[in-house]
Amino acid sequence: MTKKKDIEVLRVTHLRGPNIWTYRPVIETWLDIGELEDLPSNKIPGLYERLTAWLPGLIEHRCGVGERGGFLERLKEGTWAGHILEHVVLELQNLAGMRTGFGKTRSTSVHGVYKMAFRTRQEKVGRAAFALGRDLLMAAIDDKPFDLKQQLADLTDLADSYLLGPSTSHIVDAATERKIPSIRLTEGNLVQLGYGARQRRIWTAETDETSAIAEGIASDKDLTKSLLQSCGVPVPEGRMVDNPDDAWEAAEDIGLPVVVKPYDGNHGRGVSLDLKTRAEVEAAYHLADRKGSGVMVEKYITGTEHRLLVVGKSVVAAAAGETAWVTGDGKSNIIKLVDEQINTDPRRGTTEASPLNALAPEVGDAEINLELERQGLNVYSVPVAGQKVLIQRNGNVAFDVTDKVHPTIAAKAALAARIVGLDIAGVDMVLEDISKPIGEQQGAVIEVNASPGLLSHLKPAAGEPRPIGPAIMDHLFGPEQNGRIPIVGVAGSQGNNLIARMISWLIQATGKHVGLVCGDGLYLDNRQVEKRNCVNWDAGQRLLINRSVEAAVFENGARMILTEGLVYDKCSVGVVTDMQGHEALKEYYIDEPGDMYKVMRTQIDVVLPDGVAVLNGDEPAVVELAELCDGKVIFYGVAGDTEALARHREAGERVVYLHGDNVVLATGTEESALLPLSSLKHAKGIAPTAVMAAVAATWALGVTPELISAGLMTFESKLKKPNY
Amino acid sequence: MEVSRVRALRGANIWSHHTSIEAVVTCSAEECAITRRAGFEARLRDRFPQISSLQPHRQDGSVSMAHVLELAALGLQAQAGCPVTFSRTTPTVETGVFQVVFEYTEEAVGRLALKLAESLCQAALNDSTFDLASALHELRELDEDVRLGPSTGSIVQAAVARNIPYRRLTNGSLVMFGWGSKQRHIQAAEIDRTSAISEAIAQNKELTKTLLAAAGVPVPGGRTATDADDAWDIACEIGLPVVVKPKDGNQGKGVTVNVTTREQLNLAYAAAKEFRDNIMVERYIPGDDFRCLVVGGRLVAAARRDPPQVIGNGKHTVRELVEEVNKDPRRGTGHATSLTKIRFDDIALASLATQGLDAESIPAKSQRVKLRNNANLSTGGSATDVTDDVHPDVAARVVAAAQMIGLDICGVDVVCESLLKPIEEQGGGIVEVNAAPGLRMHLSPSYGKGRAVGEAIISEMFADGEDGRIPVVAVTGTNGKTTTVRLIAHIFAQSGLRVGMTNTDGVYVAGERIDTGDCSGPRSARNVLLHPDVDAAVFETARGGILREGLAFDHCQVAVVTNIGTGDHLGLNYITTLEDLAVLKRVIVQNVAPGGTAVLNAADPIVAAMADNCRGSVTFFAHDRKNPLMTTHRTQGQRVVYVDDGHIVAVEGKSQHKVPLADVPITHNGSIGFQVDNVMAAVAAAWAAGIDWDDIRAGLKSFQSDSDNAPGRFNMFDYRGATVIADYGHNPDAISALIQAVETIPAKRRSLVISGAGDRRDEDIRQQGTIAGTAFDEVLLYQDQCQRGREDGEVMKLLREGLEGAPRTSNVEEIRGEFIAIDRALGKLGDGDLCLILVDQVEEALGHIAKRVAEA
Repeated sequence: MTKKKDIEVLRVTHLRGPNIWTYRPVIETWLDIGELEDLPSNKIPGLYERLTAWLPGLIEHRCGVGERGGFLERLKEGTWAGHILEHVVLELQNLAGMRTGFGKTRSTSVHGVYKMAFRTRQEKVGRAAFALGRDLLMAAIDDKPFDLKQQLADLTDLADSYLLGPSTSHIVDAATERKIPSIRLTEGNLVQLGYGARQRRIWTAETDETSAIAEGIASDKDLTKSLLQSCGVPVPEGRMVDNPDDAWEAAEDIGLPVVVKPYDGNHGRGVSLDLKTRAEVEAAYHLADRKGSGVMVEKYITGTEHRLLVVGKSVVAAAAGETAWVTGDGKSNIIKLVDEQINTDPRRGTTEASPLNALAPEVGDAEINLELERQGLNVYSVPVAGQKVLIQRNGNVAFDVTDKVHPTIAAKAALAARIVGLDIAGVDMVLEDISKPIGEQQGAVIEVNASPGLLSHLKPAAGEPRPIGPAIMDHLFGPEQNGRIPIVGVAGSQGNNLIARMISWLIQATGKHVGLVCGDGLYLDNRQVEKRNCVNWDAGQRLLINRSVEAAVFENGARMILTEGLVYDKCSVGVVTDMQGHEALKEYYIDEPGDMYKVMRTQIDVVLPDGVAVLNGDEPAVVELAELCDGKVIFYGVAGDTEALARHREAGERVVYLHGDNVVLATGTEESALLPLSSLKHAKGIAPTAVMAAVAATWALGVTPELISAGLMTFESKLKKPNY
Repeated sequence: MEVSRVRALRGANIWSHHTSIEAVVTCSAEECAITRRAGFEARLRDRFPQISSLQPHRQDGSVSMAHVLELAALGLQAQAGCPVTFSRTTPTVETGVFQVVFEYTEEAVGRLALKLAESLCQAALNDSTFDLASALHELRELDEDVRLGPSTGSIVQAAVARNIPYRRLTNGSLVMFGWGSKQRHIQAAEIDRTSAISEAIAQNKELTKTLLAAAGVPVPGGRTATDADDAWDIACEIGLPVVVKPKDGNQGKGVTVNVTTREQLNLAYAAAKEFRDNIMVERYIPGDDFRCLVVGGRLVAAARRDPPQVIGNGKHTVRELVEEVNKDPRRGTGHATSLTKIRFDDIALASLATQGLDAESIPAKSQRVKLRNNANLSTGGSATDVTDDVHPDVAARVVAAAQMIGLDICGVDVVCESLLKPIEEQGGGIVEVNAAPGLRMHLSPSYGKGRAVGEAIISEMFADGEDGRIPVVAVTGTNGKTTTVRLIAHIFAQSGLRVGMTNTDGVYVAGERIDTGDCSGPRSARNVLLHPDVDAAVFETARGGILREGLAFDHCQVAVVTNIGTGDHLGLNYITTLEDLAVLKRVIVQNVAPGGTAVLNAADPIVAAMADNCRGSVTFFAHDRKNPLMTTHRTQGQRVVYVDDGHIVAVEGKSQHKVPLADVPITHNGSIGFQVDNVMAAVAAAWAAGIDWDDIRAGLKSFQSDSDNAPGRFNMFDYRGATVIADYGHNPDAISALIQAVETIPAKRRSLVISGAGDRRDEDIRQQGTIAGTAFDEVLLYQDQCQRGREDGEVMKLLREGLEGAPRTSNVEEIRGEFIAIDRALGKLGDGDLCLILVDQVEEALGHIAKRVAEA
């Protein structure tokens, strides 16, 4: 076979869980770099210059060198295409807005073939970045032009549509910070936090506690107002109107000036403030009526609009709005003045990421036009020098004022959310001064919003970003809770589905609902829900999203770890029975017994600090994994008190071993016999080592010896006919 | 006849416990005995035959037009299907003026009934036409429009049966159960804990399927198709036949079932595309449609839903068969019936076409012909209750499905042959999970037994024995109400409750004033009961509100009547005698909950007599424990509260609790008699509400009658060595009590600053002057801001008349303006003098006095 100067992609696999590379999902690629094996970067003239010109951000990559510019150093000295591609892909992901850092490239036993893995937050985006990276690198190698700008824009679009929205991703980050696992349930923003029965759900700024009725109340402004008023929360007087005449009549009843707004509006669209004349009210009516949801006339309350974010029972952030003005120079029209004096603010832009919106009076922004009209102007007017012109009264509410909120105002906002029944709410208040008591000023709640946007608090135009995510986590999870259920993973190649089933059975003895995936299928308690082999990621995921599963047991094979990764991020108990089976994994470049270490260690790497690794003490290769475990270790064995076990006991640790026919639990020098193996129901059909492993795993979970013993005596090793 | 002042009494009122319309009706002399007019009654019966018999209530054996109006308004509602029974007509002190009262279930319907009854009366009088059928139709339509729908109605009924109070928050189906911090809400078949996210998940069929599969619930395989070709690929993958339907669709729109060929699939795909962009292809599961209702973790009802269908007889055409079926009297056209007429429209014809039939085909004997694919009751489908058939495994899967999605009330759609066997055994599946499911098919199925769905939903919200009520104390009387209310609220707060309180100063929640002005009416009380932070409520319940609207609550735990005495506000609103006033004030006693308590002043005979009107127990209080009523009551083992040897003593049978008056500052060591009365009433009320005695003692001790706690209630100041007392007392009894109290305070010269409220009777105002004349050396009369309908100077003149020939008063001055009067009085004070100021604008005047005291 002739080698080409090309990067041939042999395989791209998305490893969705902890894997041989890292704890997080990665995309693993197998690359054959062919002739490039003989052409490291220092041997390709101009490659360094072309790459750094296209991707100047590569300077930030520390690589193995461990400092800024580390990767570029390697690139200059000479490194191979696989490794370069890793960094190119990571940089492209960063540029597209998907921040990641991890990547790794390893050679295989085959000349010119590499395994390269890089962290990705979303499979589709990761795959696209990889394809783009390969094209870019080849263009750089071949010294061909490459339209990075266009391609990157496409990749960014892809990232925008597939990545979590900024609010949700902020909340998920806060969960991760608290070691709460998360599972994205849809391509949208519906995310499960925690596992099984301990899970909670969020959907942007809604939680599973957010009441549908409360959302209905919040969207009914009239009802909201009347409820708030009844409970002593100040609201502006007002009512729904049917036509411009009625609007004026209402305005006169309420007293001028008034606000006219669409019944169902948000973000200030169609809202006109401080209206004093019949003409203004009627014009505003037509503007508000465009939404088609009905029109409200309300008393105008002088002051600034504020958004107070309530999470649970308290206000966690507050932002103030601002009015936008321009000053005439006697030459420029309003459009130009707005561009020069307002839109030059670097915070203003047209995308969601900009804290403030750019204003565009020329494209017919109706509120701006109405505001100008009230001042006797239009967008083409040229104000005289020094003339101040009000452009927008009710601009972005994005100026953080959290630290200034007076407790009485916070109390009213929280009460407003409580009255409506929302656990997370954006309460809009017009206030003269948010730092003064509510009783000392005109001020009112004008709206209570369900599923409020968080961006103005996360990326305020001025002031500090607020830790909304942690507040939401505290609201959803108690201080000691992390959303985790007991999870046992069993890895190895010898009779592990029996061990897994036995563990599941023994945990059930504690009264918990247990989910199990193994070679025999998927079980919920003793019900076999699926008959086919369920040692795969999808089946395992079913356990984690099941709201009735209180403990879960997973059989994990080496092949699954290599091709999919583990299902869970962390587990309470990780069991490794043996390191055999490398012969069957040749296709994954697992060539010798020693290679099994890096595969099987994955199961032990993910044991929680307060968890336990349960290791077969009779297998020296397995015993070696003990040092990788963040938690405790229990050794088990059938070969009596072996050296590994004895040493472990000397250190005061736990072991499970067979003494004659007796299963013995020992902690340091203390030991107690659990039961004779012969008392098991089908003793002959069950390998003693499997019993040891199951006993050790359930003991590790804190199941009492009495329950383990009782469970073992009733365990049915043979599968009954499924009863669905 | 003239109908004036129509009121809706929205709670228990002086007439009855029922919601009622009250109207003042003025009859001419002839109308006062309208049945004497020849032919009137015959004409009336001719137009409205069902009107009750006109029982004469006048001595001459005749009946007034007002009475006819009453019976007509009640009768019309009853004929329109409203469950109403109570009505009454009472003559007032004015000749020819009656108060007509009749029950309603819906206010709007009651008001309309009054209007229609009026035109009926006119028609009978003038021998003109009255269209009874159209009147009843109008009432029925309005009633159906405004009353709760059957689903919500069933839940409300279940709440009422459990003694849980309810209140509609909108004209729609949003209902609040319980009060204050114990309130819960429903909206149709959603409860307040129903999660919005779960509802959204239920709308997303693909995600629902994924989640259900994870929960081990059988679901039809399949997925979303990108186009018609992909749809066909999916169909081949999962095996024919398949169902093609819009993703996230509703009500079966655009759904095609049993698709077996490529051609059918193309058509089905196009049909589904009409409704949504995303189209799903799923395994077609043959069998019937079942709807299982899960409430909480339990399956409470199951129904088989059959699409509209007819069964051939080999003789008639499809059209004829449908006509025959539609003759079933149970098949109505609206939403109220358990069956609806089968529609013979394009959809029906299309459905026939798929079965190879048309309207004129004659199906073979026993051939089932479907007229539609969906089984909605509103399009002619039927529901058959099969709750008792459900196999435990089926119930377990259905409950697991609801639990997995996170819906506490959930309609789970199962397709299978029968619910008698596990779904898996039949290759059936759960095809949909619905939030806010319709309940009608379970409440009144077309066939089979109705199920107690409302009860199940209420049980989900309220645990056994819970009724969502918070302690409610209502306080009324002529004097002492406000202090008693404040004191009870203070004691409640002492015990850790967040108290909502209404009185003549405003509405208070957990110590914060959330409304100002006179808040002793039902609107303010309702607001308190709506407040999510209120654990207990104490309401000053003034006469005006009871008259205007009735009570804000159905029952109270404790009703306190401090006194009636010589009365107050007599002459207003046809309350002309003390007996009338007693009838009014005892409304709260009549509405004490069966397990509740009336706290009554045994020293006031009119109040004490209210004991007979109480369904709960009675606690009497009086200074004198030897009062015969007190003695009897105590001997019977009932609760009494009295004063003995410088202590408040509370006795029940052999147990007793004592509080030294020295530890109750507002009584000034027991020297202020009316405060001791207020304390006894408050103690009895707190005791009745089950407050711990340590909290009662601590509350009494920490309650100060300063302006913060009870503005305008015996607030004492020291002004340059003189004692100044400000109070809001405005009637003869209050002034007597105040005088009694100030006489216990030694003083050199005594002066009084007084105005009079214009809306009292002349004689009451005069009497205030007379009383003052016995106790004060000097009286300063001032005219208050609001003369309540009196001429300028009129009230002062009446007071002066009362002061004529006063035994003690030697100097009387008239002053315009409250503050000027206060300043004038203060200016005259010397060391050791005493001045009682009866303030009118409470807060402003107290502020003014406090300012002067500070300046001094």
